[in-house]
Amino acid sequence: MSTMATAPDRLPVAGPAEVRRAVGRLLAADPRRASAVLLLYFFAAAFSVSVPILLGKVVDGIGAGWSGAQVNLVCAVILACVCVQFVLSRLGRLSGYRFGERAAARLRESVVERVLALPLVQVERAGRGDLGTRTASDVNVVADMLRDNGPTVATLVIEVVVLYVATFVASPLLGLVALVTVPPLYLAARRYLRRAAPAFLEQRAAMSEAAETVSASGAGARTVESLALQKERRALGYGRGQAMMDRMLRVVKLQTDFFTFLLMINRGQLVLVTLAAGIWYFQGGLTLGTAIAAITVTVRIANPTNGVMTQLGEFQQGAAALARIEGVNLVPTEPREARPDGADLRMDGVTFGYGDGPDVLHGLSLHPAPGERLVVVGPSGAGKSTIARLLAGIDRPRTGTATLGGVPVYDIGVEELRKHVVLVTQEHYVFTASLRDNLILAAPDADDDRLVDALRRVDARWALDEGLDTVLGPEHRKLTTAEAQQIALARVVIADPDIVILDEATAGIDPASAGRVEASLAAALAGRTVIAIAHQLQAARSADRIAVVEDGRIAEAGTHDELLAAGRIYAGLWHAWQGD
Amino acid sequence: MPPAPPPLTPLRLLLGQARPNRARLVLGFLFYAGASCASMPQLWIVGKIVDDGLIARSASDFAMWLAAAAALVVAQPILWANGFRQFSTVEARNQRALVRDLTDHLNRAGTAVRDRVSAGELLNLPSEDARRAARAVSDAGFFFNTLAMFVVGSALVWSIHPLLGTVLISGSVVTALIAGPLLGRLQSRQSDYRARIGDLSAHAADIVGGLRVLRGIGGDVLFAARYRERSTALRRKGYEVAGPSSWIHALRHSMPIVFVAVITWVGAILAADGQITIGGLAAAFSFATIFIAVSGNFVGCSQYLVAAWVAAKRIVRVLNIGPDLADDGTARDGRGELRDPDSGLAVPVSGLTVVVTAETAHAADACERLARYRDSGALWGGETVESYPLAEVRARIMLLTDEDHLFTGTLASTMRVPEPQARQAITAACADDVASLGWDRAVEEGGRNLSGGQRQRLRLARALAAEPETLLAVEPTSAVDAHTESLIAARVAAARAGRATLVVTASPLWLAHADLAVWMVDGKVHATGTHAELLAESAYRRLASHSVD
Repeated sequence: MSTMATAPDRLPVAGPAEVRRAVGRLLAADPRRASAVLLLYFFAAAFSVSVPILLGKVVDGIGAGWSGAQVNLVCAVILACVCVQFVLSRLGRLSGYRFGERAAARLRESVVERVLALPLVQVERAGRGDLGTRTASDVNVVADMLRDNGPTVATLVIEVVVLYVATFVASPLLGLVALVTVPPLYLAARRYLRRAAPAFLEQRAAMSEAAETVSASGAGARTVESLALQKERRALGYGRGQAMMDRMLRVVKLQTDFFTFLLMINRGQLVLVTLAAGIWYFQGGLTLGTAIAAITVTVRIANPTNGVMTQLGEFQQGAAALARIEGVNLVPTEPREARPDGADLRMDGVTFGYGDGPDVLHGLSLHPAPGERLVVVGPSGAGKSTIARLLAGIDRPRTGTATLGGVPVYDIGVEELRKHVVLVTQEHYVFTASLRDNLILAAPDADDDRLVDALRRVDARWALDEGLDTVLGPEHRKLTTAEAQQIALARVVIADPDIVILDEATAGIDPASAGRVEASLAAALAGRTVIAIAHQLQAARSADRIAVVEDGRIAEAGTHDELLAAGRIYAGLWHAWQGD
Repeated sequence: MPPAPPPLTPLRLLLGQARPNRARLVLGFLFYAGASCASMPQLWIVGKIVDDGLIARSASDFAMWLAAAAALVVAQPILWANGFRQFSTVEARNQRALVRDLTDHLNRAGTAVRDRVSAGELLNLPSEDARRAARAVSDAGFFFNTLAMFVVGSALVWSIHPLLGTVLISGSVVTALIAGPLLGRLQSRQSDYRARIGDLSAHAADIVGGLRVLRGIGGDVLFAARYRERSTALRRKGYEVAGPSSWIHALRHSMPIVFVAVITWVGAILAADGQITIGGLAAAFSFATIFIAVSGNFVGCSQYLVAAWVAAKRIVRVLNIGPDLADDGTARDGRGELRDPDSGLAVPVSGLTVVVTAETAHAADACERLARYRDSGALWGGETVESYPLAEVRARIMLLTDEDHLFTGTLASTMRVPEPQARQAITAACADDVASLGWDRAVEEGGRNLSGGQRQRLRLARALAAEPETLLAVEPTSAVDAHTESLIAARVAAARAGRATLVVTASPLWLAHADLAVWMVDGKVHATGTHAELLAESAYRRLASHSVD
């Protein structure tokens, strides 16, 4: 669509509050399982922390001259605690996985449902790449978070909390000393995340750019050879490699600083707790066993703390992915509830332009008669495709009206509208699915005979030979443009609407077969209103009426013979096309 | 730049990447070794603090050992960070090197690579695969760092009591030996699950791709239902995987703690027996706790190294694809007409030749042979086209098809010639609407911000601007309206007067300007003559005339 070369409007991205609400919804949807998971993690951590605490008891016991049997008893209790911890952590993991699995399924299903309800104009403006990323890779990032990283970090966080509680249990004063390192750690992590987030994004961007450049060199390899573009491609590719390296070095710099600080803080905490424990022990406020318990608990804190810190970045990416997914919710939708009375389609005094651009149509009126075959011709850029979009209810006129059965087309619900009007464009999407599934879109209960009949009508002999179970798609049976076009036309035959708008629908089929396809299509659509938009004139001659569009206006209209006799624009086009 | 011989194996690729960074890597290993030597003794000092400080009630010894620990606490992160920096820098350089290798290789053998590597894979190679393969060096560093910590720590625990050392080492080894294979099994169980995730994402992408169809003609309900079905199946599969996964994760998490408990028990017996000090017990416990992380690192590094190997293998496969055409011709200054014996198609040295055929593909094949995009017996004057260097063939014979690629850039960079020359070509191709947004207007990858007709006319303009001696164009105006096509035919014929131009099309608008018309049937030249002469044949007339009999 030449007239749509405007910059894409990105889909909205949810803010932090909406992301928090979304996380809340995910947890709240399955509250019993969520709380069961947290409880199991908590008790697993509590039992594992009992190990250093009981070690302190052993130390004091040895000091007090325990017998071997007493030492063995406490040690047996330690081992028992570890076993209980193992069972609890296994159950916790299992529930955690199942919780994550259910949440992920709910999330991805709701995203797809939402996507299917988006206004088409919004999707086109945003570009399909953005929406595709959100429904596929962003959903996977969040699902992984829910299944794997989420439970892992939850266990670690709970473990850290329980360990801090344990230092308080061992000795409240030492617990306070251990907490001294938490604020600087929090501040450092916050600072790191603030800087790392954009750095990671830039690194990803550099990587995508490298991917795009290298894959373009591959896709356009023949063009590189034929135009001797090797030097340019080399300079470009080398530049991308350099950018990738520079971005990574920036990330490395941030990571080095943060991890250095993290290591220092962790072991610094051990030194501080040991110092405090020693001073208090010398003053007689602490038994040796308690001091050792506090010190060994502090040694333990380092591992889960590091675990949480190294996962922070991934959590941030997960939140960013969730923000993009939730953004799909923020796309404004207009209710379309009008119901048409009849199948009379018309445009009256329509002006229209894309975005903030200038008017493309200037007060255009067009009244296709029911059952008529109307061909719209005119030079590229005259506004032919725009007429098709307005009639199909994709865009809303700036002024004037486009109506079906007396109500504005744009206000008719999509499900209702497509029973009456179907638009076929040059873009023929083929789904990765069986030929049957590619055809039955409009009539899910159509039997095979009806599908075969439709394929026969659009002259798709290859499809009849290969059978309805053939799986189509780029990795299975690849279709040529002409074959994809035949599929698109067969869908229309099966959908059987009152009005069909064909926007250059046969442009990719080579001239010899185009005529044949059009003839059979005309037969298949007999009795329907057909509005065919064409830059070639094959179809014009046999049309009931021809409308010539120039500069966003209907310049002239009539039958082939009338327009030839008039000797104006159409006559000129016709003679040019014939090579006279 | 002399092309380096392609690396034959992933190992050679990875070693080749390490070679120029030898000094940096040695330095990195030294820093990591130093960091391990600073890290492990801190835990040993814990024992000294307990024995010589607390139990002996010596404040001065307590202070001395604590000061020593504090010094190590400061030194260790600095040493570690320096090691990390060395390895990460090499990793970043490796990423750059891989992108460069791929870029150079595509310049050398791009057409062969394009035929054998899918578009999706080509996107992954310089990004995800390069990232994974480049990581190998960092993970080798981490592996070494972990090993050094393990060796130093084991020696220190051994010095406390050989029995504790034995338990610790065997415990770590057993943990790694059990956890490693368990993880491998988990991954193979998950591969089916992962594949289903991939399928489901592809399904979602398919829905987005065909959204216009689904909304415009129906099927949204059908596709949503199918997606839900598959999503439910995936959830069930996930439930199945959750069982064994939870065992494995719990084992990985708990086994080290089991060893901590065992060490505690053994240590407690030894301490009660007076064979080790209480400080020794505390130190052994701390070591065991830290070794939890260490044995996990071994497994983590190994996984990343395996992933790096797989990525390197994919890169090597592509780098090993050689050029599809030999370039050993030595002939110079090709002259005379181009002739394709297979089809009988000949291109006169000047004038507009139009090939009319019902099967465009055959004519396009003949053009590929003439322009040497595939090997054949095509002749240039008296010699085969193959006997000329490719550079000469490419510079003088140009093939224009709808497959020609438009690269990201501006209009100016797309045209590649000075503005006046480019303007002429754009006018000849009737592409003025493309230029109406200015000379610096953006052209996106593949020309996706242009309409089909605009792309076609811009490609034609670019080919005309290059002014090749011979231009072979296949259906150059199939997406253009009649009025414009007629203008283009006239302007191209005029602009390329005196040079050889061949156009494959059945349009009478081009034939009106043809010096010679060639009628091809079933991939062979059936008749040659002027358009008017050939029109006498009714089969030709049906093909090459829009008039209705």
